Formats: sequence, C-alpha cells, structure tokens
Amino acid sequence: MARCLQTETFMPASTRTPVTVLTGFLGSGKTTLLNHLLTAQHGKRIAVIENEYGEIGIDHDLVVNSDEEIFEMNNGCICCTVRGDLIRILGKLMKRKDAFDHILIETTGLADPGPVVQTFFMDEDMKEKLFVNAVVTLVDAKHFALHIDDSEEAKEQVAFADVVLLNKCDLVPENELTQLEKRIRSINALTQIYRTTRSVIDLDKVLDVGGFNLDRVLEMEPHFLEDEAHSHGNDHEHDHCDDDCTDPTHDHSHHDHHHDESITSIGIEADGDCDGRKLNAWISELLQTKGQDIFRMKGVFSVKGTKDRVIFQGVHMLLDAATGSAWADAPRKNRLVFIGRNLDRTELNAGFNACLL
Amino acid sequence: MGLKTLWNVAAPDHVLDVAWSADGTRLAVTPSTGKILVVDPEGQTLQELPGHGLSNGIGTWNQNTLVTCGANGTFRLHDLFGTLPLREIHLGKTWIERAKGSPDGTHLAVGAGKTLHIFDSLGEPSAAFSNHKSTVCDFAWNPRNPREISSVCDGGAHMWRLGESQSFGHFDWGGASLMVEWSPDGRWLVTGDQTPSVHVYDFTRQHPLHIQGYETKVKALSFNASSTRLATGGGPLVTVWDCTGEAGPEGSVPNQIQGHAKDSIALAYHPTDDLLASGGQDGLLILFKPETRTTAVGLEKLQSPVTCLAWHPTGTFLAAGTEDGKVHLLSYSSP
Repeated sequence: MARCLQTETFMPASTRTPVTVLTGFLGSGKTTLLNHLLTAQHGKRIAVIENEYGEIGIDHDLVVNSDEEIFEMNNGCICCTVRGDLIRILGKLMKRKDAFDHILIETTGLADPGPVVQTFFMDEDMKEKLFVNAVVTLVDAKHFALHIDDSEEAKEQVAFADVVLLNKCDLVPENELTQLEKRIRSINALTQIYRTTRSVIDLDKVLDVGGFNLDRVLEMEPHFLEDEAHSHGNDHEHDHCDDDCTDPTHDHSHHDHHHDESITSIGIEADGDCDGRKLNAWISELLQTKGQDIFRMKGVFSVKGTKDRVIFQGVHMLLDAATGSAWADAPRKNRLVFIGRNLDRTELNAGFNACLL
Repeated sequence: MGLKTLWNVAAPDHVLDVAWSADGTRLAVTPSTGKILVVDPEGQTLQELPGHGLSNGIGTWNQNTLVTCGANGTFRLHDLFGTLPLREIHLGKTWIERAKGSPDGTHLAVGAGKTLHIFDSLGEPSAAFSNHKSTVCDFAWNPRNPREISSVCDGGAHMWRLGESQSFGHFDWGGASLMVEWSPDGRWLVTGDQTPSVHVYDFTRQHPLHIQGYETKVKALSFNASSTRLATGGGPLVTVWDCTGEAGPEGSVPNQIQGHAKDSIALAYHPTDDLLASGGQDGLLILFKPETRTTAVGLEKLQSPVTCLAWHPTGTFLAAGTEDGKVHLLSYSSP
C-alpha cells in the first residue's frame, strides 16, 4: 500500500516555474481569457496546455493540445491520481533552454481539478520544477445558477479556486451578481472573486497570484474566520440601509433560497502556540481519514520553539509544509481553512484546540 | 586508466539522446529543441538536420537511416549513407515522442497519442496498434523476435505481433508504466513506472514480478549483454538485480552501488563487458563493475547533469549528453 500522506518541505517557489490552472464550464470564457493572456503585452513567455476538446483552438506556437489523461494508481486512492499528459508534456517543455516564465493549463468543463493540482504535489519531477500559482475558475454569470445545484464538477471547480472570474457580468443585473458572489463564497470563502466582462482582467490578478498566501486572503476577508463567515457575503450592508434603500450594490433579497451546500469552507483562528508534534499528528490523521472530502486545506501556524511561521497546504490527502516569514514582533496566532464536503466544524475545532498549548 | 574526455561538442539545447549508428561512424545527437546533429568519432559535425518545433522527440537509427521526430507531429527518414531522398511523414496534430527501429531493420515503430504506428523501413504504413488506455509512453522491440513489440501506457504493458491486430499479451498491474526495456535474450521485459517501482515479466515462466522499495521514480533501465544483470537508476543509488537464477530477481538481494550525490538519470551497460556507466544529476559519470567490485573503476565530472549515455558499438568510447547542451566523448581503458 502506497503511503499517501506526504509532509515535505517546499522547494523555494522562486526557483520553480509557476503554473496557473484554468477551469470553468464550456462557454464560460476560458478560451477568450487564454487569447487575452497570450496576446497581451506582459513580457512573459507563456506555454499553454490546452485540452483537446477546447472550445476554439488557439493558433499559437506555444500551445500544446493534450488529452486529459488520468493516471490512476493501483491502490485506488484518489489522491494518488495525477495527470499523465502533464507529466509527459511539461517534463519535455522544462528541458528547453529557453524556459517558460509561466505555464497555463486549461481543463475541460467536466474535469475534476484535483488530479491537476495533485500532479504538482505528487510527481517528484513536477514538484521540483513547477508549482501551482493559482487555480483560476471562470464562472458564467448568466448560466452558473442553472447548473450549480446539479453539478458536482461546478462546485468542485469553485471549491478548488484561488481566483474566481465571475464573467459575462454585463449580461446579469447587479442584485443577481451579488447573489452569485454569495453563493460562490458559501462554497469557497477563501477565493478572490473578480467581476469580468468578456474575460477582461488585469493579468497580474491571474498570473501573479503568488500561490499560497493566507495572510493576503485574510486581509481581504477579515470576517472569514468567524464562525458564520461563510454566509457573510454582503449581508453587512443591510446594517446601513433600510427598506427604502435603492442602492443597487446592496443585497435586498429577503427571500433568498437557502442552499444546503455540501461543499463549504470552514476557518479556525486561535492565538498562542501549538504543540508541533500534536499538530502534525492531528493533521496527518485528519487527512488520512477525511482526505477524500477535504479538497484543499491551508494553514499558518505558530509552533512552539520556532521563530518562523509554519505553513501547511493540503490537497485531499497530500500535505506540504513550508517555513514562512519570521513572527518577529507580530502577535503569534494560528489560522487554518478547510474547503471540502461535509465538513464538521465542531470536530475540526476540537481537533485543533487539542493541539494548542 | 578509467575514463578520459576526448572532446565535447555543443548542441543547440539540453541533450535528450545520443545514439551511434550500427557501424560506429556516426553519432546522432538529439537536443530538446533545434537542429539534430550528426557527429563523427573525431568530434566533427557532419550534418545538422532540421528540428521538430516545440520539442524534438527521441529518434532512432534504422539500418543506415536516421529517423528524427517531434512535437510537430512529423517524423523524417534521413538516409545518411545512401542516396534515398528525405522522407517526411506527418501524423497530424500530435507529439511524436519517440521512434524505434526493429532489430532487423525492416520496421520502424512510432508512438503518437494512444496509437503505436508501425511503418516499413521506407516509411510506408504497416500496422497501427491502438488499444491503449492513455498515450503510449514508451515501446521496445523484442531483440529475439523482430516481429514482436511491447508498448507501455497507463494500464501497464501490451504485447503486439506484426500481422495481428489484437495484442497477444497485456500485463495490467493497475497503474501507469513510463518506460520499457527487453533483456537481450528476450526473456525479461521490464517497465519503469509512475510509482517508484519496476515490473519485471519473465517470459520463460509467464510470471510477473513487482519490485518496490525505490525512493524515487525509476528513470533508467539497462540490461547487461548476457541478460544476467538488470541495472535500475532513479535515486543516488544504482540498483543492480541478479537475473541468473531460475526465478531471476525474485527473492534476491540487489547490489546497491553508491557513488552519486544526486539521482542517477542515465545507465548504459557496456556492449560486451561487465561494465556499467551511470550518469547523474550531479554531473558525475561513473563506471562500475557490478559483478566484481563495489567501487567505481572510472569517474569523470562533467559541468552539467548527465542526461543520456551511449557506448560505441566497439565498447571503446562512451558518449554522454548533458543538460547544458553538450555531447562528450570519453575513452575507457581497463585498469
């Protein structure tokens, strides 16, 4: 039986080439965004791995068509599945003298982002040379609401996203956009959402996400780690308006559908130090037993005896650990976030609290 | 005594492969991108053949023809010793990652997508084997039967025979295999896998064997000339399995040879002697005598990670490609 759980130290990101994974349903605007990325004056040399059944083929020297090939392992573990086509193609591209500044991987609308991300955790060659800068999910604002309830793929694409581009915003009224943002945040409270039309976006927001940066997310979403934060959306705006308010940016729907999301986000925050051994044991056991339901996990920890932040990032049962910046005079606190299916907040809180000193 | 560098030649990019013609008068040097070089044993570049776009594939000698291939979906037949015109065959929007000539030179195998294409020596289509679950990662002709070829992909190894449309053997171990080699006597078929393991198939006993315990993915396989030793590389240790017993490596303890500080990437057994060349990510080129000595009998430090190796047919020279785009020729003399 292969050992699934891996806790290893990151290679420094600066020595590796960033990879952006582009997901989204057919018609959401992925190809438009790709064309935008390839033709814009950003000074980056970008290679694109485009799925073979893409909407419109992109005519560009640095675009490689590929069939999405999942390598399943004989232990049957979902976290051991990787993308064979990426290992082969990227393995060859990384041998070029004129290396690329960035790799973009487009997936089909029905693809599970898990194996794509896991490829860069699991495969030793990929891990050595590349890192996932961001999973960017395009959401068709006009049609998202129609298929989100019936599509596990759509939910998983949102759950894995570091960045969601809520596209075709010109076709949808403001109050619906606000509802969509709430819905997206109820699945993945960590993601950054940008409203776009015709996939037009400041490219740095897609290409220079910087990978894992929990502090940045918390800075933008300070309420996220509160218990009911996953439903905060724009609700706070109601504190400042009344029934006569006509501000279209405010959410005035008092008859919201309640979506019983099986895929949600849960955040935990606690001051003080953790016991490193207990923390390791808890996360290891948690991912071993619940890893199939945990799509992503990110955490910054204050571990007793260490002067630097300890950063964990997980995908299903895979876990990477890295040393972050020094705490110095900053208050030492722990922050962690789980995005997954059927998460139990009470159990997670209890598990983490047992690691605190 | 040992290894001595005679010359080196610059190629356009990271050297993917080096391969000697059967008569030893030409060395084909395939870089990752750019022109494919043909060099003589003195280090003179005789030809520069056009590359194949975004990435070159690993070509092959087929008798006197050098076959090149690559990401532009094309393979080319260059008759470097005769007068046949250049033949170029385009297989569509696909990457051709490698080509291999049959042991008798009558056929050429080309992997493209999920299909293993077989052509005759002039490039005319002969067969197409397409029941692969994923892209064909590698393939190898049976050295003892030029009508048999094995291919590997996700789903293990398939065995094909010219003239038959269905595979006559399928060793599915539930995972993906990335490379495949036959022992020179045709008894053993060995695969290097996506997981850190190799699978060995004993055709004498129709018996599969799964060898685990590697720390990294196995990236190099090489049998000695008498098919009694199988060397595997991937991590810093070179692991040599004894295949002499009735059950081959099964139940045996391998000889694990130290010498590299980083992963061993390329292995090549000498064409006749108990002499194993290993090239590493540490830039070291090491010669071992696995049967008789545990220490190196030759050592050369190159300036860049070694990517590929090829012994001259006479065994007097060793060609080595490196990541910095150089090909080196070294001589070897016995201690």
